[in-house]
Amino acid sequence: MTPPRAPDLAAPGCAVPDLTDPDLYADGHPLALWRTMRARTPLHWQPVAPDLGFWAATRYADVERVLRDHEAFSSEHGTLLSLLGRRDPAAGHQLAATDPPRHGRLRAPVHQALRAGTVDAHRTEVRAGIRALLPYGTEPFDFAAAMRALPLVLLGVLMGLPEEDRPHLIHLAFMASAEDDPDYRLPEGPRATLQRAHRELFAYFADLVRDRVRRPRDDLVGVLLAQRRDGERVPPSAVVSNCYSLLLGAVVSLSLVPAAAVRELGRDGGFARWAARPDLLDSGIEEALRWATPGRYFMRTAKRPVHVAGTEVAEGQAVLAFLAAANRDERAFAEPDVFDVARRPNRHLAFGAGHHYCVGSNMARLTLRLLFEELFAMYASLDVVGEPVRVRSMFLGGYKALPVRGRPRPKSQTRGGHP
Amino acid sequence: MSSPETLHAREAAREDAGLSTAYAAPRTELEERLVQLWEAALQFGPVGIADDFFELGGDSMLAAQVQLDVDLEFGVEISAAALFLSPTVATLAEAVEDAVKTGRTEAGGRTGP
Repeated sequence: MTPPRAPDLAAPGCAVPDLTDPDLYADGHPLALWRTMRARTPLHWQPVAPDLGFWAATRYADVERVLRDHEAFSSEHGTLLSLLGRRDPAAGHQLAATDPPRHGRLRAPVHQALRAGTVDAHRTEVRAGIRALLPYGTEPFDFAAAMRALPLVLLGVLMGLPEEDRPHLIHLAFMASAEDDPDYRLPEGPRATLQRAHRELFAYFADLVRDRVRRPRDDLVGVLLAQRRDGERVPPSAVVSNCYSLLLGAVVSLSLVPAAAVRELGRDGGFARWAARPDLLDSGIEEALRWATPGRYFMRTAKRPVHVAGTEVAEGQAVLAFLAAANRDERAFAEPDVFDVARRPNRHLAFGAGHHYCVGSNMARLTLRLLFEELFAMYASLDVVGEPVRVRSMFLGGYKALPVRGRPRPKSQTRGGHP
Repeated sequence: MSSPETLHAREAAREDAGLSTAYAAPRTELEERLVQLWEAALQFGPVGIADDFFELGGDSMLAAQVQLDVDLEFGVEISAAALFLSPTVATLAEAVEDAVKTGRTEAGGRTGP
């Protein structure tokens, strides 16, 4: 891929455009802009309202530091821009919105429940679920749409979510994170979309959690209910909030990774080359994660005055750590705009970093591994045959439509190749 | 019932909170109990039966808590949608009444969510 030309920010009349404008991301991650920002204004102030704004960090080192340094940067004021200027009501209850040390005590049991071994136990079910998402044959299909159901193949089982509820839950999760996209936005506008999705999901999980309190089950919700904080059971409302957060984290991010990779591999026959190298399955999946980085940024709030990239951030100011910009930083990755399935090392930040490193990363990695094994076993190639459509969102990066046609391998080979 | 001064103070507090609804007093004992429950949870008063829970300063965490308080207080399971999607004391009271009625007919026969 040819690196896009970077705008020259030093040129007269050239400035960083409004980073909150969803149209800025219409062509995907704005790689050229980020390259220039990393070089010229690695900590950039973006005004949002007369007395409100945020700093944008785009270099790998700064993004990683902001995410890791919980002494200086808090998550309790929300991690998405829609919460700027407000305190997250889930602070201290929801994993993603809680700072250490309490965070560690809340996280441990969830982490335990989602550790690789537990997740691995569901391998057969997940494989069957994945096969059900993929058509065998040469008829074109929308790969991005098929992948929207991918995350719940595993999480749905772990949380005990009834099959018939899943399509609506997926739609709500996208409403809650891509509120500017015409497919998800309500006529009343983006704010109303966020609110509606948030309340419907909360209501759904409130009912689910109450059901588990009355009729206990040995599932992930049960694990969350058994959590203890400072020696006491966590309130059910905290469990509701964590269910919400787990669903959102899985549905909107994991589902966008495969299409980003398939789109890129489709440009030059990379699918077949990767399929021929099972030894590169894992490194290729890490590269797909780096490439996609579906969650573009996470927000943190300075707990005290602190320097980032030589600029002082005042106490109480917000910093958006742009993971997607960091993952294309030439200071951290050789040829960052090349999709290299053999890339090693690949210390990408798609799952974040530090204490808030994605609690579902094992789940995501296993699901992606099984998915690509299936794809490679099923198709000799997967070609993009129509116009891809991107999600219109500042936060979410990825395709909502990707028309593809598979060239199926002969049936006998299909199931024999990968045990 | 209330002096003009008290009424005035009430309206002032409600105006400060930026509520879009005028105060409407509870009409039944059930509504009265729900108003008390909300006032305790929100630490705000007076709450009218047409007021929006979220406008009153409630958030989703608090709503999930109030749902459980209602369960405990009235011994019925109301759907969370009643509180999250049409969040007024008036509609919540209807949901509780419905739940009490269906609860009687189903007497312990409930299985799924």
